[in-house]
Amino acid sequence: MMDKIYVRLDALGEKLKTKECRIPVNLAVGVVFFLFSAVILLTMPQQVAISEKDVVNGRAFPKLLMGVMMFCCVLLAAKDIYKLVKKQPIEWKTLNLLVEIKALVILGILLITYVLWRASGYFVLGAVFCALAFLIYFRCKKPSYYAITVGMAVGIWAVFRFLLNVRL
Amino acid sequence: MLQYIAPASGLLFTLQNILWINIGVFIGAVFAAIPGLTVVLCVILFLPLTYSLSAIPGMMFLLGIYCAGGYGGSVSAILINTPGTPHAAATMLDGHPLSKAGRTKAALKIALYASTFGGVFSALALLFLGPQVAKLAAQLGTPEYFMVCVFGLTIIAGVSGKSIIRGVIAACLGLLISCIGSDPMTSYDRFTFGIRRLYLGLDVAVCLIGLFALVEIVSRAEQKPDALHMDARKMRDNGTITKEEYKRLVRPTLMGSLIGVMVGIIPGTGASEASWFSYSQAKNMSKHKEEFGNGSVEGIAAAESANNAVTGATLIPLLTLGIPGDGTVAIMLSALMINGLNPGLSLFTTQGDIMYAIMLGLILVNVFMFIQGKLLTPLFAKVVSIPQEILTPIIVIFCFAGAYSVNKNYFDVAVALVFCVLAWILRKLDMPAVPILLGLVLGKMTETNFRRALLISNGSPKIFVSSVYCWIFIGLIVLAVGTILRNQIKEKKAKAASVSKEE
Repeated sequence: MMDKIYVRLDALGEKLKTKECRIPVNLAVGVVFFLFSAVILLTMPQQVAISEKDVVNGRAFPKLLMGVMMFCCVLLAAKDIYKLVKKQPIEWKTLNLLVEIKALVILGILLITYVLWRASGYFVLGAVFCALAFLIYFRCKKPSYYAITVGMAVGIWAVFRFLLNVRL
Repeated sequence: MLQYIAPASGLLFTLQNILWINIGVFIGAVFAAIPGLTVVLCVILFLPLTYSLSAIPGMMFLLGIYCAGGYGGSVSAILINTPGTPHAAATMLDGHPLSKAGRTKAALKIALYASTFGGVFSALALLFLGPQVAKLAAQLGTPEYFMVCVFGLTIIAGVSGKSIIRGVIAACLGLLISCIGSDPMTSYDRFTFGIRRLYLGLDVAVCLIGLFALVEIVSRAEQKPDALHMDARKMRDNGTITKEEYKRLVRPTLMGSLIGVMVGIIPGTGASEASWFSYSQAKNMSKHKEEFGNGSVEGIAAAESANNAVTGATLIPLLTLGIPGDGTVAIMLSALMINGLNPGLSLFTTQGDIMYAIMLGLILVNVFMFIQGKLLTPLFAKVVSIPQEILTPIIVIFCFAGAYSVNKNYFDVAVALVFCVLAWILRKLDMPAVPILLGLVLGKMTETNFRRALLISNGSPKIFVSSVYCWIFIGLIVLAVGTILRNQIKEKKAKAASVSKEE
């Protein structure tokens, strides 16, 4: 059954492999972080309480940082826009859909591991799930690898629980 | 200095410290020997463990990982032509050809001897230079300290990615994250967004687990799990090094150690730069230039001595000014601070015995690295072929357990996951993570000095240009930025030239 699933996944992978998108890195960083710093500056009055008496208050340093960040973002974006207008080559980042989906699957495994552990209260349950999920992700067929990895997962729990006295 | 040696030795030579040194050395060598696992990752994973230890055993453990990581990387470089850590790439050029020529044990032996010499040389440099630099650092006031922080952040931002501007943005992000929690001067909460747990701020170790360790797992989506299998027959030579070869090793080892120390003192530069620089110098000065790239013993010695000689030198700016020489020691700074050890002259005077114990301990770490290298290299060699399928979930489990054990709560694990997602997005945008790390570590120090300086001057920013030291640091920042930009322009021109040639 697993082989059939793998064949289907491979066929899907072949389709996704060719799907790519390119982003102008400097422009993207400039826009994303400019917006980020603007949001931080706008939320600062609610998020950072100050006393009117203070000569230098708790907002001074974050404001300085956001100012520097905005300035750098403008520089980055302007550089790319100028190059685009002048039709000069700019730095592009290529994102492959297959790679990004695989990364999301791994993030999913991490998230489920956390949720399982949090919901059950047993770290060892999450750890065993994590071990098995990654072995399946890597399409491992060797039973010895399953035994070793699950054994190691339980072993790590035991070390933290009994040697380091951390109640996982 | 001498008055501290005796009490420091008493503090250092305990069974507990020696045990932690050996555990650290073993773990560091194993991690570095496995391609794809870095020393930074290892230090991050085991940092939470040191929170339950006092300053000396905690630092000895981390220094054991750091130093042995230098040697461990060379094992896979020599055996399978894949550097375990980036700084072992120069060792690979001659280590692997020598191994292919049937002299694997000899190559590993040279790497071990050169690493040990470089490490001890560097530890002695730290022991003698550290207190002198600390005396200089004592003359710095709050505005100067702020400039020192800016200097360290600028260099790291400049050298750790492709673009200095993106590096500065990353450093600002790290500094901003360090602002989360209670204000260090007024205790008002900042950027907590109604989440009570954020009042205490974010733990650096937890953030680093997400930023460096978990994201490394996610980025495996871009790689294929390739099995790196080592042929056991490779280790069957007797490892003999001739008298003539020993004589040839002296000069590159000494020169490599000196280069390593000089490079290591400069914040932002690291073992990779030192090993390549030393390798090229050794090649230029050698009488046997034709052997370089084909299994030169001098090449291995030059690269290995330099990359291990960085280890002690990077601690000089860390312990005296609080400026980490590279990413790994930046993490060690938080281990120091958690034990109430704040960098500066006071560290060498009020807590001189602890400080000297740590510095002497670095020599001991190298001695144990040598002993373990002699006895356990065949085991380190076997570790090289651990399959990724087994390794990956084990690292994740360690990350989760480590994040939880910092404050024994689930919230920290969730924070680590959030930082993992953040780091993944940043990677997609080609943003370097090391400046964020430095921003996180130096955040409190930078802000406190910035605000104190402004308080002294009643809000006038002129205080940051009021002393000679401030101007010296401004000059250094301008020089560093200029050099970085010049190198980047040169690289771009060279790339463009090679592209036009190909066309």
